[in-house]
Amino acid sequence: MIRPARPVRIGAAALGVAGAIALVGCSASTDATTDTSSGVTTDTSTDDSAGTSNGASAGAYADGTYTATGSYQTPESVEQVEVTITLDDGVITAVEVVGDPTRRESEEYQAQFIGGISDAVVGRSLDEISVSRVAGSSLTSGGFNQAVDEIKAEAAAG
Amino acid sequence: MSTEWRFDAIGTRWEIQTSRPLDAAERETVARTVERFDAAWSRFRPDSVVSALGREPGAVAAPPDTVAMLDAFAEASAATAGAVNPLVGASLDALGYDAEISLRAGAPVAAPADWRRLLTWDERMLRLSAPAVIDVGALGKGRLVDRVLNAVGEFGDGDDIVVDASGDLTVRGATVRVGLEHPFDPTRAIGVWEVCDQALCASATNRRAWGDGLHHVLDARTGAPVRTVVATWAVAPEAMLADAAATALFFDGGAALCAQWGVAWVRMLSDGRVEYSPDCPAELFTRGTTVEG
Repeated sequence: MIRPARPVRIGAAALGVAGAIALVGCSASTDATTDTSSGVTTDTSTDDSAGTSNGASAGAYADGTYTATGSYQTPESVEQVEVTITLDDGVITAVEVVGDPTRRESEEYQAQFIGGISDAVVGRSLDEISVSRVAGSSLTSGGFNQAVDEIKAEAAAG
Repeated sequence: MSTEWRFDAIGTRWEIQTSRPLDAAERETVARTVERFDAAWSRFRPDSVVSALGREPGAVAAPPDTVAMLDAFAEASAATAGAVNPLVGASLDALGYDAEISLRAGAPVAAPADWRRLLTWDERMLRLSAPAVIDVGALGKGRLVDRVLNAVGEFGDGDDIVVDASGDLTVRGATVRVGLEHPFDPTRAIGVWEVCDQALCASATNRRAWGDGLHHVLDARTGAPVRTVVATWAVAPEAMLADAAATALFFDGGAALCAQWGVAWVRMLSDGRVEYSPDCPAELFTRGTTVEG
C-alpha cells in the first residue's frame, strides 16, 4: 500500500524560539500564575512538573562519552538497554539508547498502519525547546538510573 | 492571563489551567467528579464498586462511564488479540502492584482470556460471573480527564482550559506545545506535539501514574510486562480514546486500532527508534528518517 509522504517534520527549523510561552496559537493566553492550594486530596508540593528541570548537570565529572548497560525493571529482567551519555563541561549533551527489541511487527503490517520509522531519536534539552508541558515518564528508570550511576562512578574515577 | 490550580488525586498530580481562578464551589465540583470516579473504579480502594464486585461476583448498578469505558476496552482487546483486558488486575497484583503496593513480584499471571464472557455490561447493570480484579487503568485516567474537562467547561466563560493529569492532558481553546519526554532522560524531549482542542496521552512501561502502578503496562495474555515498545503518545478528540490508544500501541494491533479510531501517534521502541502514524503532525528530533510504504 503506497502512502503519501508523512507530514512529520524532522529537524531543528522551529526550535529557536526562546522564552517561556505558556499558550500559543489559537488564542493568546499567556502569563500563567500558579496556585498550589490543596484541592481534592493532600498537596504534597514535592512533585513539581518535570518540565522545569534543567539539563542534568553533572559538574564533578570528566567530559567525555560514557556507556553503561542497564536492564529493564521487570520481574524477568530480560531486556537490556545500553545508555551512552556525552558529558561536555559537566553537562549531559547527548543521550543515546540502544536496545535489542524482542520482536517486530510484520512488514505488511508496518506498511499499512505505520507512517514511518526514524533512526534513533536525538533528545533535545527541554531548555532548548519552547514547550509548556511535558508528557511521558521515566521508563525503566531503575535500569536507567543504574546505568547512570555506573557512568557517574566511571566519570568521577576518570 | 491564565491561572493554574494544582492538586493531587488518584495518586497523581493534576494541573487545571483556566483563564480565571476557579472559586471554592467550582473546585468542590471538580473534587466531587474525581471522588465519584475513584469510588466506582479504583482497584486500590476496598470500598470501590469494582473491588466489591470482584470479591463477590454478581450484578451491580452500572456506575457512570461503564459503557463508554468497557466498549472501548472491547475494541482495544479485539484489536490487540487480547493483550488489552480489563480483568488484568490480578496480573498486576501478581507483580506486586497490588492494593498494598507491596512491589513484591511473583510469577506472572495471565488475565482471563474469556473476559468478555465473565464481564458483561449495559447502561443499567455491570455483571461479573467469577471473582476477578477489574482494572481500567488502560483508559480510566483518560476518561477522568474528559470528565474533569467537561466539569470545568460547564463553569462557562468559553475559556481556554488545560487539564493535565501528569502526562494525560486535554486542551480546549488554546494551543499547547507539549514536549514528548525522552523515556530515558526526563530532562529531554524526543519531539514536540502542538495540541489544540484535543487530548494527548502518554504511556511508558515503567510509569506509575496513579502512584500505584495502575499504568504499568502488562500483556494480559501472559501477565508479563511489555518489552518492544518503551513509550507511546497518542492524540485524539477525547482523552479516553487517546489513553486507550497509548496503551494499545504497546502491542501488535495497536496501530490498526489507531487507524480505525483516527488517532495520531508516536511510539519509541526499545532500540531507540521512533515510529509514528501516517498522519502524525508531531515534530520529532531524530538524526535521520526513512519513510516506508
